[in-house]
Amino acid sequence: MRAMIVDDEPLARRELRRLLAEFAWIDIVGEASNVREAAPLVEKLLPELLFLDIQMPGGSGFDLLARLDHLPRVIFTTAYDKHAVRAFEVNALDYLLKPIEPERLAAAVARAQAAAASSPISSPTNATILERLFLRDGDRCWFVPLREVMLFTAEGNYVRLSWGKAHPLLGRPLSSLEPRLDPRRFFRANRQEIINLEFIENVELGVNGQLHVQLRGGPEVQISRRQARLFRLLASV
Amino acid sequence: MDVPQRSSRNYWLCQLIGWGLYGATEAAAAVQILRLPLLRSVLEITVWAGGGLALSHVLRGVLRRRGWARLPLRALVPRILALSLLLALPMAVLTHYMAIAALWGPDQVDIDHLHIGPGMLGPARLLILVLNWTTCFVVWTVLYLSITSLRDRRSAALRQSELTRALQLSELRLLKSQLNPHFLFNSLNSVRALIADDPAAAQKAVTQLARTLRYTLTAGREELVPLARELEIVEDYLALESLRFGERLRIERNIAPEAMNVRVPVMLLQTVVENAIKHGIAELPAGGDLRIVATLRGGTLQLDVENTRPEKTGSVFRGEGVGLDNAAERLRLLFGARANLELDLSQAEIAIARIRIPETA
Repeated sequence: MRAMIVDDEPLARRELRRLLAEFAWIDIVGEASNVREAAPLVEKLLPELLFLDIQMPGGSGFDLLARLDHLPRVIFTTAYDKHAVRAFEVNALDYLLKPIEPERLAAAVARAQAAAASSPISSPTNATILERLFLRDGDRCWFVPLREVMLFTAEGNYVRLSWGKAHPLLGRPLSSLEPRLDPRRFFRANRQEIINLEFIENVELGVNGQLHVQLRGGPEVQISRRQARLFRLLASV
Repeated sequence: MDVPQRSSRNYWLCQLIGWGLYGATEAAAAVQILRLPLLRSVLEITVWAGGGLALSHVLRGVLRRRGWARLPLRALVPRILALSLLLALPMAVLTHYMAIAALWGPDQVDIDHLHIGPGMLGPARLLILVLNWTTCFVVWTVLYLSITSLRDRRSAALRQSELTRALQLSELRLLKSQLNPHFLFNSLNSVRALIADDPAAAQKAVTQLARTLRYTLTAGREELVPLARELEIVEDYLALESLRFGERLRIERNIAPEAMNVRVPVMLLQTVVENAIKHGIAELPAGGDLRIVATLRGGTLQLDVENTRPEKTGSVFRGEGVGLDNAAERLRLLFGARANLELDLSQAEIAIARIRIPETA
């Protein structure tokens, strides 16, 4: 498994490398000491696993993830970070406290291996379609599998996700997100909204050729007249 | 309402009540015993009491300006007697010549009723009035000094207990802020890495970490330590941070030998240096320079800690000063206005913390 280490302290990187030497199947393909170095390196080397420090000069580990299109599986490494630990509690990411305990590390990489076996990280060939996003909203952060998102709603230059009970905000416009979404799964209903087709409960014909789509456990969304024709074609309604 | 305002209000209240009561008693006596016309005696006595109030205010001015309250009793008593006599003279003259008897003649007073001779209304009365007013002002002074000294002693005790409390609080905050878990765990992580690579360096790091922790944990016991002692711990701390930051941390020191013995608040320089690293050098991907300069000039220790910092907008600095605010507060509690700590952010990429501490601490 291709892995990368991002940590600002050289000794910390060296220590982690030594600890990881135990696991022959982990191949450390690169190292970076800050977000600016790391972001292009991740996009270039496309590692499957990222060991990521949180507090770094010039931007945190979270800042790095928010900038990435290629999202490897992440194991956070942190010495002490109250906020980060709270964030992890919310969404069960893996994290290791420094100094890292070899047993905890073994458990974390085993989980990463198991996850990789069940759903491999997107390969470079279909990297244009996003499968997961890292989102931060205030103190909380999530890795969001996009297939679980019911609805994307434009809010100015941001996008509000309806994902289970959570409604995190994504820091990019809907127009830039649309081409990166799987067209077999997601559909642009109108200027404001993109819906997940798997969440459609029923569809009703409205006046003026509009369609009213009821989302499972969610709101009713209008499909504009222009898009309705496309929708009919797609769904053969 | 603040304290000076309140005490000034109380002073005037006491003055009005005191002199009012005095005047009222005199007026009542004039009407009752001397059988004088009411309106006339009230008018007359209002003038007396007003005069007494005005002159006692002058007396208070002298007491306060000359600081008589702090004089020993032996020096204080003759001064008060002399001043009271001096002030009694105009009052005696005023009351003597303004009195009904003097203006309108003894026949206005029911002398038979009083069983006093006509001489009592002549020059002898002036003497009695002088003695009378002197006593009056002496009593006034004794009352004034007792009340103010009681008040001062109370507020001094209150100030002292507030000062003690503030110092204890700042020590508590100091301890809490110094047990920096981020530094601690990262240092332990460095040590773990060194154990395999460079066992000698690892041993040294453990010693440094132990010394830093011990100094921090016992910092509350001593208020002031020689600069040399504080610098030892700063050096231990910097050695550990250098392990973490590697080449990103560049340190320059310029310590005048004569500054080494000046006693400084424990953990003060350490706090400032840690702040410089945390908010300055640690934030810079390429690292930065830290400069510690100590000089002794005109009985004042000047400690300057200069560091490279990221260029930021003003709002980002919120929260960064917490450690420094606490340090400045401790300096103020320990030395008052003679010491200070200021953070100079006037240069775009440099922060300078300037500490001034008097040598004779």
